[in-house]
Amino acid sequence: MAKSLLIISRQAPWSGPGAKEALDLVLAGGAFDLPIALMFMDDGVFQLVPGQNAAALQQKNLQANLQALSMFGVDDVFACGHSLAERGISPAHLAVDDVHALSTDEVRALIDRFDQVITL
Amino acid sequence: MKFAIALYSAAHAPSSRRALRFAEAALASGHEIVRLFFYQDGVHSASSNVVTPQDEQDIAQQWAAFVSQHQLDGVVCIAAALRRGVLNEDEAARYERPAVNLQAPWELSGLGQLHDAIQSADRLICFGGP
Amino acid sequence: MTTLHVLSHSPFSDTRLSSCLRVLGTDDALLLTGDAVYALQPQSSPLKALEEKSATLKLFVLEEDLLARHIDCPQWATAVDYPAFVELSIHYDKVNSWL
Repeated sequence: MAKSLLIISRQAPWSGPGAKEALDLVLAGGAFDLPIALMFMDDGVFQLVPGQNAAALQQKNLQANLQALSMFGVDDVFACGHSLAERGISPAHLAVDDVHALSTDEVRALIDRFDQVITL
Repeated sequence: MKFAIALYSAAHAPSSRRALRFAEAALASGHEIVRLFFYQDGVHSASSNVVTPQDEQDIAQQWAAFVSQHQLDGVVCIAAALRRGVLNEDEAARYERPAVNLQAPWELSGLGQLHDAIQSADRLICFGGP
Repeated sequence: MTTLHVLSHSPFSDTRLSSCLRVLGTDDALLLTGDAVYALQPQSSPLKALEEKSATLKLFVLEEDLLARHIDCPQWATAVDYPAFVELSIHYDKVNSWL
């Protein structure tokens, strides 16, 4: 049976290649049909804010990659509720569909149940 | 125990040296390293162009020697490497760049190799940051 | 499953320690390496935060980083060398490094 992998993305979207490289890792796992989940935490939740304008920084829009998650078989996408609240981001208005906001207890349980975790 | 070790920082980062010391201890304790996978700034730890003062630790050189000596599978993520200007002969030719700074024992490959290592190993350990 | 969380950033300039402590499970352990050992700086608020959890927190510290910074290991924590670090990574079911 395949080992499950949770990737925790903590980087803000416009702080360098970190956010995209975390997503690339998730999409690669999805492409190989591996049991992968993604959770946004700390400044990583800024990736989920709607109405951002990548072109203003001459950057590529990450939205396409985020929307591709379910196409690659990655349906378990989470956000740390505490991180969202700290940043005044409403879980009801995120740029990506079907992101589950988790309580701290749920985050703890999520980390606990995966075979491996990468926090980047 | 089989270890997959992933490194996300350059040779001058303390975490690169820490990863190497961990890898050495793992082999010394009789464990196996399935693969070393260098991602993000970790690609710089595989650079053949790092020059350190004689009285300092040359971690990039030590990594290459470690992989060669133990015939380990040392893989550098190609996408992360290109973005950071770490190129082997093939890529330098392909993209018409003037310099080659990635050589044996390092291989350029995709993220699938990291996922494969995670699936094959008993433990994944990542090193990065300071 | 049990997790060994590994930190390497200073708690004074970074939120990884506080985020990690928030999600740490009761059977998990924490290993401080690199600048994360500044969390043991005497009379500091990170040290107080760790001391408050000392009854249940399984805290490990990379010895070389304590020595370099001239910081003592509290008697309720355990200093480890590399062979012991390898053993820790096996003892816990998985390792989560906060990169």
